Amino acid sequence: MRLIVHNMLTCNIKGVVNKFPLRIEAEKVVIKKEVDFNTDFLRHMLAKIEWKALVDGARSMGYTELPDHAPEAEESYSFLKKFHHALLELHLEEGSLVCQETGRKFPVEKGVPNMLLHEDEV
Amino acid sequence: MKATLAPSSLISLPRHKVSSLRSPSLLIQSQRPSSALMTTMKTASRGSVAVTAAATSSVEALREGIAEFYNETSGLWEEIWGDHMHHGFYDPDSSVQLSDSGHREAQIRMIEESLRFAGVTEEKKIKRVVDVGCGIGGSSRYIASKFGAECVGITLSPVQAKRANDLAAAQSLSHKVSFQVADALEQPFEDGMFDLVWSMESGEHMPDKAKFVKELVRVAAPGGRIIIVTWCHRNLSQGEEALQPWEQNLLDRICKTFYLPAWCSTSDYVNLLQSLSLQDIKCADWSENVAPFWPAVIRTALTWKGLVSLLRSGMKSIKGALTMPLMIEGYKKGIIKFGIITCQKPL
Repeated sequence: MRLIVHNMLTCNIKGVVNKFPLRIEAEKVVIKKEVDFNTDFLRHMLAKIEWKALVDGARSMGYTELPDHAPEAEESYSFLKKFHHALLELHLEEGSLVCQETGRKFPVEKGVPNMLLHEDEV
Repeated sequence: MKATLAPSSLISLPRHKVSSLRSPSLLIQSQRPSSALMTTMKTASRGSVAVTAAATSSVEALREGIAEFYNETSGLWEEIWGDHMHHGFYDPDSSVQLSDSGHREAQIRMIEESLRFAGVTEEKKIKRVVDVGCGIGGSSRYIASKFGAECVGITLSPVQAKRANDLAAAQSLSHKVSFQVADALEQPFEDGMFDLVWSMESGEHMPDKAKFVKELVRVAAPGGRIIIVTWCHRNLSQGEEALQPWEQNLLDRICKTFYLPAWCSTSDYVNLLQSLSLQDIKCADWSENVAPFWPAVIRTALTWKGLVSLLRSGMKSIKGALTMPLMIEGYKKGIIKFGIITCQKPL
């Protein structure tokens, strides 16, 4: 699971208010360099990304190079490289996504988050 | 959801167009909901879903059954048919014996015809898509490539999700498409996220059609489009409460092997969308356009490669293969319909 996906996932347990973001508990992180560096794409994503969720998620996966806030003016090349790395190259292979409100853990196995709810959570 | 069981609201078909491509246009004569849908609509209208313990665990059992079925059969399907796990779209009465690539083209045509029917064109600026019941991601990757859109897919099968992600990586689409294990009835997304909500042949697996449709609508963005392509049973006529017992019997046998809950009709979907105030609701019967599909699937299953793969794949695959003639029978006898239903969420 990449952070670009983590930035979209919410806890869907009935009644939960604080659904996003899910906290990451990383057990196995892999660096996957499968996506080309593309500044247009990154600038497009920058406008849509929840920055704090990305920074916290990256830290949970062992990457602390991102600034606390996204740049307001023209983004530097070095910033975009870090952004690219955090968004698209950090890959959670094994671990959990944790609901901040209930503590419920959604497992991530072989890079795939499992967001299925139990009977009593529906 | 408001109760919409009053006869007057069911009979009229105001405003929305009914059109189809190349098959006779379907005038929906009646909108009597099927008995299966009546139950789900009644429970929803009470304001809470009063589901018994037995009912919930049967839903869990169905979910597990579906996951296991696709865990077991996906690899086999992909080997023989490729990454699109849906019917091909053919010209009606096409008697030409198609090659394998002809059928694959038909599967891609199914995607294109569905987008066209829903009025989803490049101009619509589709940016974010959800593929509900995504299989191994064929539709997602195709749509993401076509529109340059981001696409997330959800499936109950961990094997499918992993394979879908691997294929996306192999096609340099990892930044655009991703796949998760999630329940279509409890989607892990905020309201209004998606310009296009895509459900290609997954609706038939949903045990609660009302809840399924509500979720599709919830995650659709204002102005976004919803496309449902699904197996249905024929519409019920005026005065008909349910299918004939022999018709139901045929469907029950198919349900068992393909892990399907009760079937509903195209009109049932239309009614649900109407009750949720969706706009520009359209539907069509594409049964004639998919007729060559199951015979072709059976032919591939009966090849040497097909038989060996089936035997290696396991009992669920074998039972699935043995059930395919029932699909053909269902279509021939007019019980099973291949339907498309599309609409737009109001701004």
